[in-house]
Amino acid sequence: MDLLEYQAKELFREVGIPVLPAQKIADSREIKQLHVSYPIVLKSQVRSGGRAKAGGIRFVENTIDAIAAAQTILNLPISGEYPQLLLAEARYQVQREIFLAIVLDYQLNHPILLGSAQGGIQVEDLLDSMHTVVIDGDFSPFYARRLAIQMGLEGEMIRTISNIVEKMYALFLMRDLDSIEINPLGIDENGNVMALDGKIALNNRALVRHPDLVTQFNGYSPPMPTVPFSPQPEWLNWNHSKGKIGLLSNSTSLSATIWDLLSQQGAKPRNCLVIGSESGGIWFSDAELKTQLEQAFNELLSDTQIKVVLLHLLGVEPFQEVLLEIISRFFAFEDQEAGEDRVERPTAVATRRQGRSQSSRNSTSTLPQKPPALVFRCCEALLSDLPPSLNQDSIYCTANLDEAITQTLIWAK
Amino acid sequence: MFTWTPKSKILIQGITEPLGNYATGKMKDYGTHIVAGVSVGQGGTTLHDIPVFDLVEQAISEVGEIDTSLIFVAPDLILDAALEAIAAGIQQLIIIPAGVPPLDVMQLLNKTHNQDILILGGGSSGVLIPGKVLLGMMNPQGYKPGNVAILSRTDSYLTDEVATILTQAGIGQSMVVHWGTSDMIGANFADWYEALAQDGETEAIVLLEQSAIGNDAAAQAIPKNYSKPVVAYIAGQEIPVNSIPQDSATLIASQISEPFPHTSLASEKIAVCKKAKIPVAKSPYQIAELIRGALKKQKK
Repeated sequence: MDLLEYQAKELFREVGIPVLPAQKIADSREIKQLHVSYPIVLKSQVRSGGRAKAGGIRFVENTIDAIAAAQTILNLPISGEYPQLLLAEARYQVQREIFLAIVLDYQLNHPILLGSAQGGIQVEDLLDSMHTVVIDGDFSPFYARRLAIQMGLEGEMIRTISNIVEKMYALFLMRDLDSIEINPLGIDENGNVMALDGKIALNNRALVRHPDLVTQFNGYSPPMPTVPFSPQPEWLNWNHSKGKIGLLSNSTSLSATIWDLLSQQGAKPRNCLVIGSESGGIWFSDAELKTQLEQAFNELLSDTQIKVVLLHLLGVEPFQEVLLEIISRFFAFEDQEAGEDRVERPTAVATRRQGRSQSSRNSTSTLPQKPPALVFRCCEALLSDLPPSLNQDSIYCTANLDEAITQTLIWAK
Repeated sequence: MFTWTPKSKILIQGITEPLGNYATGKMKDYGTHIVAGVSVGQGGTTLHDIPVFDLVEQAISEVGEIDTSLIFVAPDLILDAALEAIAAGIQQLIIIPAGVPPLDVMQLLNKTHNQDILILGGGSSGVLIPGKVLLGMMNPQGYKPGNVAILSRTDSYLTDEVATILTQAGIGQSMVVHWGTSDMIGANFADWYEALAQDGETEAIVLLEQSAIGNDAAAQAIPKNYSKPVVAYIAGQEIPVNSIPQDSATLIASQISEPFPHTSLASEKIAVCKKAKIPVAKSPYQIAELIRGALKKQKK
């Protein structure tokens, strides 16, 4: 979970990393009650990078300009993300900018300190002059001094910078962070430093230890993860825009295998949704499985390009009843003569139509859309107990992976 | 250190957690010798006829020394549970939940570095010795005793699938080990190859990997001139490599500041296998063919 800039700065302030006087602005009219004195900078609060180049940062000298700029920024999406807030911040005269970060290194299994004397948004320069120090065991300030010296800092600046790194590290440990970054850390002509921008990534699974953070930062999108952590259906980052097969499974590894088997036969799946994605450590309750499956089916069925859903669920025998009820509800399709009440059922089909146009719901000329075909690969035990509602031309249930692949390929043609 | 028997004494930490409870029932049905469970506040009760204690050391003073602990507590409590088990003298830990906070894992690995402590996971589905002992989340139905070991860095569902295919092809399994799918895992691959080289039951090894799990290829650690044939399968060979974000500044900047736990793609893993002359199966079905071939060659 990435924090917004203003949230990161609130945490910086708590550990004594210097930040500028600033105020959150949700509405351009709030500019009139500004406590920060001009000139100021207005900064779009989005998680996407590149906001400066996209026009999400404006320097203004007075209230009139500030209101106009605030209106513009609040209505400006950065890589598709609209800000819910601006940060109005005092200006700072920098002489130079440096980059500091602490991340986890998964190759070394240690946290590492990162530092570059070329901070700012010129990423190439920054990367060229990057220095790293591995924290082997417990942290001690000499690691931070080692980084400062590698970065080419001299005199008083060594202590000043190592002092900031120490505070970053304290925050990193105390809050179970995945990463913490200050870029740039501005240095003025008198050698004072100021965290001008920052990024903090919280570890979702450790948030349960930090209920105060959840309270502090709730209310802005995306919402803070729930505590205790409850899994959501997860779209894997696997896509083929021309595919016609939607994959839904409770195993990422088997999803990968199925993706391969289909692809090897020339049928690229369109996408892949996994429930209980961190399998091995998560137990579904009935209610959780139900919510996840409903959510997953709703998402899959709202994609009209999907002709076949390949559902692959194993090891869910304890939830047989819930499972079959949900599948029937989403995929069992009655013929058009079957009755008027069809429209009222909360199926994905109905949901899909409602989502598209409220008025079409009452229009008798609109026929309900047929759900995609379903291939369901399940365990043998479940197969012997299928309800009659699943006995349909467009539903195929099998315990055999090979058969499931073959049928999916036939229907996807 | 790397073997278990039906007599191995097993502890379940987090036995009253829903997953721990479910798995305990399954393991007990399989004949695994679970001697105690730990669940804070539940001391003095029993579950599946297994006595439950508040502390690991209380369990040990009651039931004697423990060989292996399976940990099912919530991810944020795993470091503490592991340290408690180690402090009580348990040397084999299997951590089932994934998503342990990375700083906790680093602390645990630092602590156990250079010590005689075996850690599987986080995100491990455990160990299965077919016909003898089940220590984890596998569905033992598809497995049968035999001479092929499976080392897996995937989730248990794929391993179950592969084992079923092997069993149907008449190839039984000597030992099935899940290293874990988490960002950071305790398993030392080289130790496992070494252990299986010594294992009298094992004649060949199936290595299961998945694209973008881990930041290295597990085949890398196979010693040169390894005594037993290895066949690899890497799931996700056809998965499109993630598209690059349009904005290069985002890309580069995020590479600096975000941890990337899973960087090893199928193509790299395959390249490592090729270099080590390890055949790579294209599908789970082909694993059986390749293993059969390898075993035949071995016999000559």
